[in-house]
This record gives sequence, C-alpha cells and structure tokens, in this order.
Amino acid sequence: MEEPAFEQPQSETPAAQVDTLVLARDDEHRKFIALLVGVAGWAVPGLGHALQKMWGRALAVFLAVGALVMLGAGMRGNLFTSRGDDAFATLGYLADLGSGSFYWVARSFETAGPDVSHSSGDYGTRFLATAGVLNLLAALHAYEAARGRKA
Amino acid sequence: MTAPLTHLQSMMLFALIISLAFGTLGRRRPSERLKYAAWSFLLFLLIGIAIGWLMYPFSR
Repeated sequence: MEEPAFEQPQSETPAAQVDTLVLARDDEHRKFIALLVGVAGWAVPGLGHALQKMWGRALAVFLAVGALVMLGAGMRGNLFTSRGDDAFATLGYLADLGSGSFYWVARSFETAGPDVSHSSGDYGTRFLATAGVLNLLAALHAYEAARGRKA
Repeated sequence: MTAPLTHLQSMMLFALIISLAFGTLGRRRPSERLKYAAWSFLLFLLIGIAIGWLMYPFSR
C-alpha cells in the first residue's frame, strides 16, 4: 500500500480550537471597544485619545478643534443646518457635524447668525468646517490606535 | 464678536492650528512633532501664497 503523496492536514486539537475561539472573541471585543472610543472621540474632541491615556494628543485635539470652532463662530461663519437646499449645504452640514458636541457649542455662540458678506465670515465658515473634519480625522486616529494598528 | 483679521493673518492662524494638530497626531516624539508641524506650517503658507499669485491674473 502506497503512502499518500501529501500529508493530510490534521484537525485542530480541542485546546487549539478553544484558543482560536478565545482569540476571535477578544478581537470582536477589541473592535467593539475601539468603536466606542471612536464615537467618544467624535462626540467630545480629544476624548478618544484621553480614554487611551494619550494626554498630549487629547489636549491638542481638544484645543485645536475648540480654537477653530470659537474663531469660526466669532467670525460669524456659516454654520450649516440639516435643512440645506443643495449638495454643498449638505456637505457643509456633514463637515460641521464632525465636531460633535462642539457643533452645538458653536450654535450657542453664534446668536447673531452668520454674516458672510465680509471676508471674515467666509473664513469663519472654513474654520468651522475644518474643525469638524479635523475632529473626524482625530476620532479615526483614536479608533485605529484602539485597534492596535498605530499610535 | 468680530475678529478683525486680514486675509494673511487668517491664513496664518488657520495654518498654525492645523499644523500643530497634524504634528501632534502624526508623530510621537516631541522633536519630530515640532519638525513636522513647522514643515506643515511652512508648506501651508508657501502653497497658499503661490495659489494666491496664480489666481491673481484672473481676479481683474
């Protein structure tokens, strides 16, 4: 009787199967935690990094997004709402919403409404949108760090 | 509240805030962060001014 040409793959031992299951469950758990960290980072700028004890990054994100929002609102930039008329207004709203809770902070500061008849108002609109996009980038960075991909 | 900033001041302020955030997020060591932020700030200004001059002939 001839030997088989290739060695047949052996099935995993029960212990190895348990290890694989535990690893898979840990990975799922880590994904869930990372998602929570990302959402926290979006909701409150810098919180995603603070939860991972990256204090310098947390402070930098908080201050940068906060400064952009305050300057943008102070310059009376256009803070878009969900009732946009066209695609640009919708995109602007999504960008503004990226700053999480700071979106409502900006709304509370801009009691007089936007004024884009001057260049400073136009700059303010860009500052507000950039605050949102920067915060989204920071939240994504916090998510990736929580997944263990980079830090 | 109105911030009486010129175009250049607004751009510099914008570039400074974004560069510091990029440097802190993108690099780990303080010296690398500072270098990255400085380069980013410089490039923001250079590219911004270059685009401004490129648009100048079409502004009149």
